[in-house]
Amino acid sequence: MSTATSSTFGERLRNVGRQQFVWAIVAIVLLLVINVIKDPTYLSISYSDNLGGLRGNLVDILRASAPILMIATGMALVIATGGIDLSIGSAMVIAGAVAMEFLSASGSSSLGTAGLALLLALLVAGVLGVVNGVLVSVVGLQPFISTLIMMLAGRGIAKVITGGQNTTATSEPFRWIANGYVVGLPVVVLLAVAIVAVVGLIVRRSALGLMIEAIGIDAEAARLAGVNKRAIIFTVYVAAAVLGGMAGVFATASVMTVDVSNTGNQMELDAILAVVIGGTSLAGGKFSIRGAAVGAVLIATLDKTVVFLGVPSSATPAFKAAVIVILFLIQSPWLHTQLAKLRSRRTTTPTTAEVTA
Amino acid sequence: MKVSVRTRRTFVAAAAAATMLTLAACGPGDSGEGDGGGDAGGDGGTTTVGFVAVGPEGAWRSANEQNIRDTFTTDAGYDLKYAPATNLDQKSQIDAFTSFVDEGVDVILLSATEGSGWEDSLTRAQEAEIPVILIDRGIEPDDDSLYVTRIAPDNIEVSKSVANWALETFPDGAKYFTLEGPAGVSVVNERNEGWDEVVGAESSFTKVGAQTANWSTDEAKSVVETVLKANNNDIDLIFAQNDEMGLGAALAIEEAGLTPGEDVKIATIDGTKGALEALSEGRLSFVAEYNPLFGDTAVEAVTSALEGADVDSYIIVPSTTFDSPEAATEALPDRKF
Amino acid sequence: MSHEPIVEMRGIHIGFPGVKALDGVDFRLLPGEVHALMGENGAGKSTLIKCLTGVYSIDAGEIVIDGSPRQLAGTADAQEAGIATVYQEVNLVRNLSIGENVMLGHEVRGRFGISWRATHRRAKENLERFGLGHLDTRLPLSTLSIAVQQLVAIARAMVTKSHVLILDEPTSSLDKQEVSTLFGVIRQLRSEGVAILFVSHFLEQVYEISDRMTVLRNGRFEGEFLTKDLDRSSLIATMIGRELSTLAGEHEVRDGVAPGQREPLLVAENLGRKGSVGATDLAIGKGEIVGFAGLLGSGRTELARLLYGADRPDSGSITLKGRKTAIGSPAAGLANGIALSSENRRDEGIIADLSVRENMILAVQARRGWMRPLSKKDTDEIVDKYIKEFGVRPADPDRPIKNLSGGNQQKVLLGRWLATRPDLMILDEPTRGIDVGAKADIITAVQKLAEDGMSVVFISSEIEEVARVSDRIVVMRDREKVAEIVNDGTVSAATIVAVIADEEGTAQTVAALDVSDETFPGTTSTSTPTGTSTSTERSES
Repeated sequence: MSTATSSTFGERLRNVGRQQFVWAIVAIVLLLVINVIKDPTYLSISYSDNLGGLRGNLVDILRASAPILMIATGMALVIATGGIDLSIGSAMVIAGAVAMEFLSASGSSSLGTAGLALLLALLVAGVLGVVNGVLVSVVGLQPFISTLIMMLAGRGIAKVITGGQNTTATSEPFRWIANGYVVGLPVVVLLAVAIVAVVGLIVRRSALGLMIEAIGIDAEAARLAGVNKRAIIFTVYVAAAVLGGMAGVFATASVMTVDVSNTGNQMELDAILAVVIGGTSLAGGKFSIRGAAVGAVLIATLDKTVVFLGVPSSATPAFKAAVIVILFLIQSPWLHTQLAKLRSRRTTTPTTAEVTA
Repeated sequence: MKVSVRTRRTFVAAAAAATMLTLAACGPGDSGEGDGGGDAGGDGGTTTVGFVAVGPEGAWRSANEQNIRDTFTTDAGYDLKYAPATNLDQKSQIDAFTSFVDEGVDVILLSATEGSGWEDSLTRAQEAEIPVILIDRGIEPDDDSLYVTRIAPDNIEVSKSVANWALETFPDGAKYFTLEGPAGVSVVNERNEGWDEVVGAESSFTKVGAQTANWSTDEAKSVVETVLKANNNDIDLIFAQNDEMGLGAALAIEEAGLTPGEDVKIATIDGTKGALEALSEGRLSFVAEYNPLFGDTAVEAVTSALEGADVDSYIIVPSTTFDSPEAATEALPDRKF
Repeated sequence: MSHEPIVEMRGIHIGFPGVKALDGVDFRLLPGEVHALMGENGAGKSTLIKCLTGVYSIDAGEIVIDGSPRQLAGTADAQEAGIATVYQEVNLVRNLSIGENVMLGHEVRGRFGISWRATHRRAKENLERFGLGHLDTRLPLSTLSIAVQQLVAIARAMVTKSHVLILDEPTSSLDKQEVSTLFGVIRQLRSEGVAILFVSHFLEQVYEISDRMTVLRNGRFEGEFLTKDLDRSSLIATMIGRELSTLAGEHEVRDGVAPGQREPLLVAENLGRKGSVGATDLAIGKGEIVGFAGLLGSGRTELARLLYGADRPDSGSITLKGRKTAIGSPAAGLANGIALSSENRRDEGIIADLSVRENMILAVQARRGWMRPLSKKDTDEIVDKYIKEFGVRPADPDRPIKNLSGGNQQKVLLGRWLATRPDLMILDEPTRGIDVGAKADIITAVQKLAEDGMSVVFISSEIEEVARVSDRIVVMRDREKVAEIVNDGTVSAATIVAVIADEEGTAQTVAALDVSDETFPGTTSTSTPTGTSTSTERSES
């Protein structure tokens, strides 16, 4: 987009540094390095005949990222409008419950049944999004309140769907969504990347992104500019819920069980975290799907690293929090101005300083 | 006098028998009829029981509370008033408790969502001469003068049974990994305590690590997948503190190209239907039940309490264990939860 | 009424970062009078009130209450000094009972803490003074209408037996009947010797109820007058800071088309919205520039918003190019070829974090819907065109609009609206707060648009500007349209001011308005001619 004129390498580097998610990539790389130090073969990837695809820690990280990628993308859109969707984890469990209940009731392992289960799961999750959308955009309730209600109600609905049980089903095609491989690559990763890419393209190639940002920055000004605020906000909540549904399908297809009290539990927090790590402000406005995706991968990397390093359970939350706090510190404009001050005080020849920056 | 009976390869009947044993041991020769129920107090009228319950929390709780409600029936001479907490909120429980006291019910069953803060309410019940029986959850501090008895399975005992099975199964020791529930929860601490008490003393057992998977199947799968890679698949035993995590571990083991039950054995606690199915297929190796079905025990305790008989302050509900596919297969048709 | 003043404020100065909010203001209040504090928005009325109620502490000056100088360090000090205040938004606790609200902080105590029975009895006594004895004091306040809540608020304020009552815009949400009830209460309090400070932007009400007025402008004291001695035109001239005689000036008849002969583009009949603007008839011709003139709060912005669909009208209809058209949202306004540039550029105009380019194409894009994005070529065409046409500086479409000056932001917004190729462009204060050069650019652009056949509604606080630009002027007062003036070249700002001032709506001549200020003895009138480039700042809200 930018028609930026010729810039020095240093300038370009600094512009890159200003994109917050770049620091998340740095964090991912650092975590991988730590893992490699613990075990030099950490990054090795091999072909497994048993799985029919590639296996290795990196593959595991990407697979673990898939559901977070879905919900982080949806959450990014919602947060950009100045809202929040706390019910995204409930969308996951509802979708999972619908899929498992349908598959176990049908007893069929056919491809068609699996497809129908997927469609039904996304549809029901979408209905949750419709309710959110109506509550926020038509009724005008606070997004926090509306989605909090749906977060609580959603899990209840999932329990009703499965009759309070953790439903298990067998369907090879459905299981394949989360565990299968295509040309050696995990289907779930391919799907997740494709969905994020499609959403990113839709948002940026159409004017949806512009409208969402306009609403998030100044809803009244956007309305007066003719932006159909209601329709856009409605769309965003439905999209978030459907993406949440997809995440729920990923999570349940992986183990072919829906765990009504645990599937998607507190996943909204991971989603919000991924979005913020990606450089989108919780106040809404400018957003970055790419950033949210990087944030999602970082969270998955962190989860996996904690296990790989054998961090004790009780220390795990503190470890994760420390990594994220350090990341936010590095990203904060405050630190950058402090560094800039230091730099200008120390250097006499600014050009060299920029290169080293 | 605490009674803890471990029965094997026996199931529902065992539970009932154990109930009898328990009561025979602690009550002065009461009804003793294994079918539970019975006429409450024998005074002809119905006994009003207020049940301050937890409400929807999970499969185990549902089975437990349903079992209580199914046992204290009108036919058996009870009028059970079921008061589940709203959103696990203690205040709603205290309100319900107080109104039961004001109503003057004959006896109160209490499953506290939170252990602390019950002294005032329990004292009031005592002043009104209403016996209180704790169901599953205890109170803190545990002042047993405030209630008649607490009836609950014992987490420490249950996890000890898993540990003992591990010692028998791996006489030469093993490398094991523990899948825990959320850090800091008392159930997790107790299940760790029981395990460590037995296994911790064995130098032949090496703890590869422990990590929380938040009771969840998919998280457990993800954790075990990485743990196997970090240890080059060199793990003999996984102790999953609930069934769901054990099932997730089985999936991860299969994906790694190993066979659960042969390459890696998995032991779990709870004894849900899903776990028994997996055990019967050989994917799990050991399942220790944490028995939710003790309505009959509760009935006996109520009867004793109303008769003014001595009741032990802690009645441990006996839990079964299942250590073979055959045991699981046998138990499955009658599995209620 | 020749008592000593109960409140005397002398040489009050107060500043906020970057703003001199009050600059040497004198004010006095006599017992048993209703004193109106007059001035446009931002003149310093609210600031002065907040100084008197202890919300702000003054930087310099003196406040004398009942003969003794006072330092008011908080609202409690002011209350203790006998000053009670009822604010614009009723600040009562909606979910407490009526009685609790009246007695809040003054509950009657018995032997066992608060005696609610006695408290409610006392509340009832207080309410009876204001003809509200019939209210059940135990009902929640929220069961009352806003008007009655207003009276309850006054009753509450007077519980403390205050000698001074400040009413800040008490009538803004009341209907005529309710206003007259309120005025009855005010008159009663006045007869009891209470000094009442009354703020309202409704001239009619000010003239009906007040005995005396003090006029502020831009934080300065403009004069104190007996209401009966100051006619409306002179009041308005004082408020906007012009000598009546300087308000003359002429408009050139633009294209020789007589106003009646233009083909109508938009005809509004009975268009109105409760609490915002009364039912209004209005016709706008093709290629015509219609000015809306009136004081702030007169309903000129509200009328414009109804035409565009920014607010939904609850009465009347709009006929656009001969067809009845429902315009219930800005999107509908845009779809029907109407554009509105809001007076509030910062909050309702620019999208601060978006670039110049994105800001400019937003309305066009919104009209197309998000699924049909503008091509890069079309975008660049629009952006290049208006950046060039209006001379936006810097001419960098990727710069966030918030980094541009006010004038350049306004040009970008003008581009945003014109890019939708509207038939009717409504410009609400397009020249506010921007520099002289940009102002001239925008006025020229407006005239050129009309020449090209676009209809324009032009709203400005600078009445000279309206007089100069408009073919026809719609005069608004108290949320009603009161007159329409055809600008035949003889219409000047003074003519418009006369109409705004006059209740009957007949245009008076400048000469007739040339009244010498009869100021109250002992005060000074310092109305200064400021020429044509007065900016009306609205830092205050």
